[in-house]
Amino acid sequence: MNIDTIKKEFPIFDKKIQNNDLVYLDSANSSQKPKVVIDRINEFYSKQFSNVGRSVHYLAVTATNLYENTRSSVQKYINAKDKNEIVFTKGATEALNLVANTLGQKYLEEGDEILLTELEHHSNYVPWHYLRKSKNIKINFAEINEDGDVPIENIEKKITPKTKIIAINHLSNVTGAILPIKEITELAHSKGIIVVVDGCQGGPHLKLDMQELDCDFYAISCHKMYGPTGLGILYGKKKWLEELPPYQGGGGMIKEVKKDRITYGDLPNKYEAGTMATAQVIAFDQSIKFLESIGIENIIKHEKELIEYGQEILRKNNSVKLIGNPKNKGGVLSFIIQGVHPHDIATILDEDGVAIRAGHHCCQILHDKLEIPASARASIGVYNIKSDFDQLNESINKCKKIFDLK
Amino acid sequence: MNLKELYQEIILEHGKNPRNLRKTENFNKDAKGNNPLCGDIVHVYLKLSEQRKVEDISFEGSGCAISMASASIMTDLIKGKSDNETKEIIEDFLGMIKENPELKSNILKEDDKTKLMCLSGVKQYPMRVKCATLSWHTLISAMENDGKEISTES
Ligand SMILES: Cc1ncc(COP(=O)(O)O)c(C=O)c1O
Repeated sequence: MNIDTIKKEFPIFDKKIQNNDLVYLDSANSSQKPKVVIDRINEFYSKQFSNVGRSVHYLAVTATNLYENTRSSVQKYINAKDKNEIVFTKGATEALNLVANTLGQKYLEEGDEILLTELEHHSNYVPWHYLRKSKNIKINFAEINEDGDVPIENIEKKITPKTKIIAINHLSNVTGAILPIKEITELAHSKGIIVVVDGCQGGPHLKLDMQELDCDFYAISCHKMYGPTGLGILYGKKKWLEELPPYQGGGGMIKEVKKDRITYGDLPNKYEAGTMATAQVIAFDQSIKFLESIGIENIIKHEKELIEYGQEILRKNNSVKLIGNPKNKGGVLSFIIQGVHPHDIATILDEDGVAIRAGHHCCQILHDKLEIPASARASIGVYNIKSDFDQLNESINKCKKIFDLK
Repeated sequence: MNLKELYQEIILEHGKNPRNLRKTENFNKDAKGNNPLCGDIVHVYLKLSEQRKVEDISFEGSGCAISMASASIMTDLIKGKSDNETKEIIEDFLGMIKENPELKSNILKEDDKTKLMCLSGVKQYPMRVKCATLSWHTLISAMENDGKEISTES
């Protein structure tokens, strides 16, 4: 599939948004959906629907097979060793909560330390924070440098003999910094430390190869990967998923239930309690096929060109200050305009059909460190083109005019 | 939608040069407010006399043009009012932002009403209503002085 004409695969771009062509620069928040994914949900509900894994009738068997097909597709797409290392969750947030909760129960002791970075999304901080109280563990933060990056030395510096887990972002949703997960994992494993990766932004923008990265856990957000909402994926090394206790209890995750004892199901059922997001899982197979049909190398190249172009344009705009200039940058361009609050920027841009996000993007620690209350963020997907940044820049100039800036 | 209605001269001017952006010395009532979704924060300080008159009112905080202008205009209008008048003005303002086409209270002078009505542009921007109302809700909390932190998300 040719990436230059990919936009036409996304029905949303056929619509005028308040009389404007949509310039969608909010994909880090959630990506738009290609027609194949939307159609698949419709088709499944119209022609194939049943719950999975429970009944023996024809539709139930069909749905179960389709559901498991997606698991196999995901396994291949992220190059996991085993199909049972793929657990479906309601989102990356749930995936991270699952890891923090179960590692907390089984693996952490009072006084143990967890190392995060200042780049973490609240989803990769709050679940660990719970363990401060329940387990009396300590949380440390590897610092960003002036480029909004976390060099591996800054991580190494914060490792102590008590560090048990490193939980890190693959690609920052604010500065766009891409962290060297493979090297970090090597370092961590040499000291017996578990590595948990928040792969929300890695998913849509980077090559995912679990065996190469060698991390112990990797959380994915499907709605940021051209897939449906309500769905996430937890990759976990089999030895961990087997060893750790279940997370939520309910139907589907048990083996045997008696009045005096319960035994739990095998992987992956052990972590998929209750009725899952069946239609979403089945439609996500189309998202994977869509990504494969373009090819991640082509996506990386296209997005790199876009980000470089966007940076070049915004750097020339003298009121705009870009947030973060990391060595390896992907997916997002955050910025501030001296004298215009990000929310006012976002409202004014919206009037031209330019959709960005303003706020702290669930990264308050990072914004505190940068000493700004909020930022504006333009983030891209496969469907963006260079002229989107021209329009962004034009609308930014409109902001400047309204606020009487030079 | 109309950006000109949202970003009127008065709003931009108050947003840029907010009045009473400071901390009242020997305040006797205060409250904090925040909007966790966008990171806006405001801290309102009041000095209420024994006759329950607002001798001074000020605020600290940061936020968008709408929230800064709203806090600025609010503090300007409330200074010198009694606590009952203050409550009436707050109620009137919040009612206007929510549903009423006009301000009803007779306490405010016409040109003060005109200033406040400049904020009515947010009605067309539901996501921005909270920016305009945060400082007002925070003022209520300060008046009641129950020390409760106001959040737009609870
Ligand atoms: C880096 C990062 N981590 C975690 C999340 C949370 O993902 P979800 O809302 O899909 O659970 C996001 C999405 O905003 C993100 O960008």
